[in-house]
Amino acid sequence: MKLKTILMAGAMAIAASGASAACSYENEVPLKSLSAGFEAWKAVTDAMAECGNFSASLDQEFREKQPEAFAADPSLYQIGGVANETMIPLLNAGTIRPLDDLVAKYGQDLLPNQLIKVDGKVMAIAMMVNAQHLMYRNDVLAELGIEEPKTYDDVLAAAAKIKEAGVMEYPIGGTFKTGWNLAQEFVNMYMGEGGTFIGEGNIPAINNEKGVKALETMKAMTEFMDPEYLVSDSTYVQQQFQQGKIAMANLWASRAAAMNDEAESQVVGKVTMASAPMGSERPSTTIWWDGIVLASNMSDEEADAAFRLVMEGIDGDMVSANNDTAVWLNAAYQPGELAAGAAASAENGAGAYPASAAMGVLHSALGNGLADYLTGAKDAQTALADIEADYITAAKEAGLISN
Amino acid sequence: MNFRTFAAFVGPSVFMMLLFIAFPLVSVFKQSFYITQPVYEMVEVETCTPGFLTQTCVTEQKSQPKLDEHGEVITQTEYVGLQSYRNVLEPERAWRAITEGNWSVLSTINFWKALRFTLTFTLITLPLVIGFGLGIAVLINNAAGSIRGPVIFISLLPFIITPVIGALSINWLFRGEGILTALLEWWLNRDIALFAQAWTIEILMMFYRVWHVAPFAAVVFYAGLQTVNQDSLESAVIDGATRWQRMKYIVIPHLMPLIIFVSMIHLMDAYRVFEEIVGFSSQAYVISLQWLTFDFLVPDQAGNRSISRASASAMLTMIGIVLLLILPLRRTWRDHKGGH
Amino acid sequence: MSSRALRQPLSLRLTSNIFLAFWCLVAAFPIVWIAIMSVKSPVDAYDSNALNVIFGPATLATGNGLSVLDIILGIAVIWGAAMVVTKVLPAKIKEYTAPGQAWFGWVVGVLVALIAFLLVFFVVLPAVLNVLNPLFGPLGRDVLGVTTEHYKTVWVDRGFSNNFKNSLIVTAGVVTVSLTVGTLAGYGLARSGSTLAFWILLIALIFRALPHSVLVAGYLPVFINSAEWLAPILGENAPTLYGKPFAVIAVLVAINQPFTIWMLRSFFQNIPAELDEAARVDGCNHFQAFRRVIMPVMWPGVITTGLFSFLLAYNDFLVTSLLLDAQNQTMVPAIAGMFNRETTTTDQVVAVAAAVSIIAPLFFLVMIFQRQIVSGLTAGAVKG
Repeated sequence: MKLKTILMAGAMAIAASGASAACSYENEVPLKSLSAGFEAWKAVTDAMAECGNFSASLDQEFREKQPEAFAADPSLYQIGGVANETMIPLLNAGTIRPLDDLVAKYGQDLLPNQLIKVDGKVMAIAMMVNAQHLMYRNDVLAELGIEEPKTYDDVLAAAAKIKEAGVMEYPIGGTFKTGWNLAQEFVNMYMGEGGTFIGEGNIPAINNEKGVKALETMKAMTEFMDPEYLVSDSTYVQQQFQQGKIAMANLWASRAAAMNDEAESQVVGKVTMASAPMGSERPSTTIWWDGIVLASNMSDEEADAAFRLVMEGIDGDMVSANNDTAVWLNAAYQPGELAAGAAASAENGAGAYPASAAMGVLHSALGNGLADYLTGAKDAQTALADIEADYITAAKEAGLISN
Repeated sequence: MNFRTFAAFVGPSVFMMLLFIAFPLVSVFKQSFYITQPVYEMVEVETCTPGFLTQTCVTEQKSQPKLDEHGEVITQTEYVGLQSYRNVLEPERAWRAITEGNWSVLSTINFWKALRFTLTFTLITLPLVIGFGLGIAVLINNAAGSIRGPVIFISLLPFIITPVIGALSINWLFRGEGILTALLEWWLNRDIALFAQAWTIEILMMFYRVWHVAPFAAVVFYAGLQTVNQDSLESAVIDGATRWQRMKYIVIPHLMPLIIFVSMIHLMDAYRVFEEIVGFSSQAYVISLQWLTFDFLVPDQAGNRSISRASASAMLTMIGIVLLLILPLRRTWRDHKGGH
Repeated sequence: MSSRALRQPLSLRLTSNIFLAFWCLVAAFPIVWIAIMSVKSPVDAYDSNALNVIFGPATLATGNGLSVLDIILGIAVIWGAAMVVTKVLPAKIKEYTAPGQAWFGWVVGVLVALIAFLLVFFVVLPAVLNVLNPLFGPLGRDVLGVTTEHYKTVWVDRGFSNNFKNSLIVTAGVVTVSLTVGTLAGYGLARSGSTLAFWILLIALIFRALPHSVLVAGYLPVFINSAEWLAPILGENAPTLYGKPFAVIAVLVAINQPFTIWMLRSFFQNIPAELDEAARVDGCNHFQAFRRVIMPVMWPGVITTGLFSFLLAYNDFLVTSLLLDAQNQTMVPAIAGMFNRETTTTDQVVAVAAAVSIIAPLFFLVMIFQRQIVSGLTAGAVKG
């Protein structure tokens, strides 16, 4: 209704687009990028756009498009955004280029652990890491005299206590949405038990006591979760937290900032970030990275310009301006309390997500098959056996297991 | 009309359908009998990924596709006959489940689970759509002339709304403590979780579909009601026919071609139910045939996709729809021949 | 209900109207509700108490609200606009345009009406109210929490206007091409009793029934690599079809053809064949007969079919999300992207506002063409 504010906003938008001086140089080579669309990518690509001649596609279908678009000659995009697992198809198809020469030329500010190396060659530059870790309501736990939960047994005991005290009906939240999220929860648990997913010759290896233990823990948790857990994704769990409906959840580090967002959250300052609960061997979580790759089907001149632009996009200025958006890998990053959970998980020995072509197949099979166990249609062993069978069919079709 | 003129009229349309529908369809058909896969080799790879302060490097055996001298992945294509169909149908498991009379096992096999839901969904919503459509059309026709316009306008809203948004808005209204769930809880005075078990989700999905499609049926039927022969209605009244008899013997037969038209459209659309599955994220409980095909097609994080199984399941889906359409189509054939 | 004999008893009329009112409520509620959510602050929009969502206390607390006076005048303006569009506009258009160019008159008329409405509603009205509100005491005090900030975020900060433009391009392209190609084919099929015609119709029907995801996934690699495989034919200038609106238009037209030709065929079958036969006796060939005799009378059916094409193109998600890049993205995939991003609650309300923005044009479209839909259907566009 307020015309003035609309006009003001318009004027400010114009002023902002005019002020591309934030970039230290003027980019001359037309460049395009294709990546996922979450907040951190928006921050990075916005910083890159300030140098001019750059357009970013933040596309939720990037997984499907990236392998094809990078295989075209010349590649449709020069810059790609990838994570652990989404780099695999590009790497396997040989459509991304080694970056060693460019790192030597422009990468003085990069930290050593930003360099993703495959067989000694730098293939990607990581910009941030992400991991699921425990978030809990310190006020609720303190009131009931509960210590910070260290293992899932602690979590379950705390949940029982909270429920008994009548504070909350469903104290635990979880990203149990069928598909990728649910499979990721299993991966976390199974990693915590110290299991390996895939054995010699890509034969699956999850149907064992560790797998059953992981499933049983998940089922035990669902007793304390909102019955609609099979449709709850990260955003939903985050909202449950913000509205004070749950007390504990193993949630992504990238969601931590939302807990203290005054505009939405009713629990500002009441959520503590802690290490992911320990399994039998290590924390029940996996560490993910997001980073940038360059296509191999382009001229050296373009590659040079693209890398320079990437360095500008993930530089200290951008990180300082968006400090809480992600757990950045950068010297300028100020890890606050919000990053404590991810850091503690890493300190306790959390492993990286075991990305591989076979793991991609297994993750999908898990995503589709686990719900049958949680809804009670199958017992744990049958569920795992069926998932393995499903995996073998798919892996044979993909050529990963010879017939 | 001679053949050349006919071809000139129909040509552009047929060309487009051939290029964009028939041609892909033929390749899908072919793919369902073949498997194309990259040639893998086992290599030892050292991969370094970031921790927080340090890097973790692991060396392990990994499958890697072989590349040829142009840097392209070497693939091999193999004729596998009906293997992909077998992978989709899982006939041995299904047969065992049937002979043992164990329906719950049968309903955990993806294809049969999807088929069960797709058919239930299609066959339950069909009479509801026709019934509600007819009901609304008659009600509108009964209403005073001045309010018909606005009522038709409001009735059309559910039909025109973008399906993705329609499904999302149902989500907002019902999910968790959504406003309508809260209302139901207040009314029934108990805790309700509509997304926590299969049957409530199925009812919601059917409710959404009927809400979305019934307006289309209603408008078509309403248009049909405008052309009902008033004379025969009046003579029926004079003969002492009741309201119900007039409806049954004059109005419904008059609308019959329209009912068949709407049924056919609805059969086709309901049979490829997909948006509801995604919009209600019901995969844990119910899946549909098109969703199954879609799931095979979508690459996983590492870029693998099951093209052959997707093709097979697409072909099976198509056979199903042809079977469903045979009955209404026989009539069209008669009309076509009779009309000239 | 012209005849006395068909008049209904009062009780029946009453029940009938109550049911009708109930249906209208069911039909409109979800849409009205998301429209309400879109103008509230996040806390209000997701409140589980319905009254809080409607009155928006948290929104009001931030100083965004409407007074009783605002609401009354706002409704008056909307009502007036609706009256103008439905009553005055058609008459004016008829008055000022030649019979053959009515469509052009409609385009201009609708555009003018739209711009005028936006000006009055968003510029004149707020200015007037700013003066009036303080003068009316309690009536001028804010009572209803309403904020337009989410719309501002959508259209200004998120660049939704670009998506809107892309949607318009794709939709206009699909409707035009689809109708041109479809009208010819529909006419040809209606006037030919050959077995070939029947088989074309039958196969088209099966195409209509195909699950789209099967076809669409096959397009992606072909479209991305088109520069390579088109090079032998088109040489250096071979385009990359991926990301180009015209490629998406072609795909959507093809997918939409089966329905279009079925609709139009039934419609043409209801135009007596004697009409064009008479023209051919006068020495016209089939095309001339089509142009001179059929075209003038085909518009009701074509408009109805066109609306269905419009809906398909405008609402499509599968094809547009896969085959367009970010620069040419249409509105529906753009909003799905908004939902799937790592979102905050604020972002979700922004996405709700985007959803309402997508529905709004459809709303106006149906308001304007509603009469044509019914008359087109009545004229026989749907006879089995």
